[in-house]
Amino acid sequence: MNKIFLVLKREYLTRVKKKSFLLATLLTPLVIPTIIFAIAYFATRDKDSGHDEIRVLDQSGYFENVFDVSGYDFTFVTGSLDDQKAKFDDEGAFGLLYIPELDLSDISVSRFEGFEFYSTTNPSFRTLESIERAMERRIEDLKLQRSGLDADVVANLQARVGLDTFNITETGEAKESNSGLSYAIGYGMGFLIYMFIFVYGGQIMQSVLDEKTSRIVEVIVSSVRPFQLMMGKVLGVGAVGFTQLLIWIVLIGGLSTLGLGILSGGNDVMMEAASQQMPQEAMSQQQEMAANIQGMIASVPVVKILLCFLFFFLGAYFLYGALYAAVGSAVDSLQDAQQFMFPIIIPIIVSIMAMFFVLEDPNGGLAVTLSMIPLTSPIIMMARIPFGVPDWQLALSMVLLIAGFVGTIYIAGRIYRIGILMYGVKVNWKVMKKWFTMKV
Amino acid sequence: MNILEANNVTKRYAEHTALNDVSISIPKQSIFGLLGPNGAGKTTLIRIVNQIIMADEGEVLINGEKLDPKHIGVIGYLPEERGLYKKMKVGEQLMYLAQLKGLSNSEARKRIKFWLEKLGLSDWAGKKVEDLSKGMAQKIQFIATVLHEPELLILDEPFSGFDPVNANLIKDEIFELREKGATVIFSTHRMESVEQLCDHIALINKSQKILDGKKNDIRNSYKLNQYEVIFKGSLAESPSIKILNNSISELGLNKATIEAKNGESPNILLQELIGKIEVHSFIEIIPSINDIFISLVKGGQ
Repeated sequence: MNKIFLVLKREYLTRVKKKSFLLATLLTPLVIPTIIFAIAYFATRDKDSGHDEIRVLDQSGYFENVFDVSGYDFTFVTGSLDDQKAKFDDEGAFGLLYIPELDLSDISVSRFEGFEFYSTTNPSFRTLESIERAMERRIEDLKLQRSGLDADVVANLQARVGLDTFNITETGEAKESNSGLSYAIGYGMGFLIYMFIFVYGGQIMQSVLDEKTSRIVEVIVSSVRPFQLMMGKVLGVGAVGFTQLLIWIVLIGGLSTLGLGILSGGNDVMMEAASQQMPQEAMSQQQEMAANIQGMIASVPVVKILLCFLFFFLGAYFLYGALYAAVGSAVDSLQDAQQFMFPIIIPIIVSIMAMFFVLEDPNGGLAVTLSMIPLTSPIIMMARIPFGVPDWQLALSMVLLIAGFVGTIYIAGRIYRIGILMYGVKVNWKVMKKWFTMKV
Repeated sequence: MNILEANNVTKRYAEHTALNDVSISIPKQSIFGLLGPNGAGKTTLIRIVNQIIMADEGEVLINGEKLDPKHIGVIGYLPEERGLYKKMKVGEQLMYLAQLKGLSNSEARKRIKFWLEKLGLSDWAGKKVEDLSKGMAQKIQFIATVLHEPELLILDEPFSGFDPVNANLIKDEIFELREKGATVIFSTHRMESVEQLCDHIALINKSQKILDGKKNDIRNSYKLNQYEVIFKGSLAESPSIKILNNSISELGLNKATIEAKNGESPNILLQELIGKIEVHSFIEIIPSINDIFISLVKGGQ
């Protein structure tokens, strides 16, 4: 046990003391939001700046001033379609919209065809949809007029329904639930586990491989049991990841509390001074928004989610970490590792792809099945938990995951103890199986 | 008293037997040569003693006790495939390896300082291993092997890759450790390189021990009653002398290898020779361990 700790300490300290660790840990919580913000900023700015021209050849005469699509100017032209088709591109226009003559006399006709759009490059899906919507609305209005109905009356007849969702807790208390937030939390946590397995699993493998290629491993195993070395390594690298995660949570938590604090006005004197100059309406709107966000967060069982996350996070890490260690021990170089990485990566990829379906239907058959299988359960269960999972399912999944990682650590340990002493062996699955069954 | 005894140790792998019923005993404070060609099973035996792998049959005793994890601190092992963490500082690395052997932090610090000074590496304690020359790295590896003052030092192909200066330096350190009470096992396939160092040897070939004992006893018992004579005059065979070959020495004298047909003592032979020729040199030919090994292996086939 003491020796596992010594190995763990070395793995931990050599990593944490690196400058790259410090940099990644401190900058990631700042860089990622900055990148997201920058992308969003440039995406919106692009649309506003360069206005492309779309020419409209309207033979029906109904669509003047109808189009308002951001990023585009609409100019109406006359002449023949062939003529306009030939010259719009040369004259610098992005596209040509052709509207045929329309016969609106029979209001029972609802399908209109013959609209055409010409361009040299494909317009975005959203642009096309905006144009279609605009034309539909215009035709609806025209048909309403023809049918003699008052547009105001029609507008009054429309209805909008918002569904408030509640979760009944075991005590029978109804709690306001929030599917959007659950989705975001489930997605975020599942993705975090996915990232963590890849990044730190790879580091474990690299570390095992380094010991093998630097030929220190036989010196080490003359004083430490191979299993102790492997576990020390898995725990040490895991502790590094955990440290990083903790710092991120504190940093992001701190930053977002600060953000919320600014939003809700707070007690800050500066803020108060600023808020006095702010229009009353805007103030209350912002306060309401902040209160909403805080209310949403309060509606989620934070402690339960965090504890579950901790468990599945660690479970996934041990399970995959041991497998990565086994692969690292079996091969002589990173290139050789590829063929063995494949079956390890498959269940991770399956998890992350299935996660999107699971988030849509968190209690469906796929979700329940995958959240029981230890190889996929960490990601899938974390995606489900924010939506509420029956306790027996959670318990069963946890027990299976424990069994799963104990099993993989056992298998990995048996391959590892042989693999680390083998140099220049051409390893395939058969060889690995032999190592597994071999007596030491 | 034997520090190490291996009794009927057998180790089998799927396709082959790595060690077949091997027994050796290594007396305390001896320098023991574990000799044999590549693939004979030397490293397997050493790994068993180091508890890296386990014997299928037989037992290993250290100081009369069955092999146990507590013996890890008794043994210092320099494997054939050896290296260091490249990115780690020399001092930290030695500290880590010493602690793994069970040394306390303060004791390890003292000894690391002592050894680095002794081998002239004090200035390098704070440097990373990748910045060291190969010779320096080898010295560090040696220090790591002896830091915990092992009673039993096991060196697998210790001088492969060492330059002659470092090899001699390490040899001197090894002798010094032996004087202080350590027992040393050299394992190597280059028999001539350790022959003069060892006082006990065991020969291993094809998973089996074919010979062991005190080196001098072995060499004496494999004497062939052959002598090299350098002389003036002409020598003919006689009832007691057989001439194996004849040549001219560097100084223009005759040189011959003779054999005492009936095992006559050197004095008897000399008396006969003096009557016939002018003897300039008369040396008994004692076979080297390498010669003995080759004759044993060939004889066995």
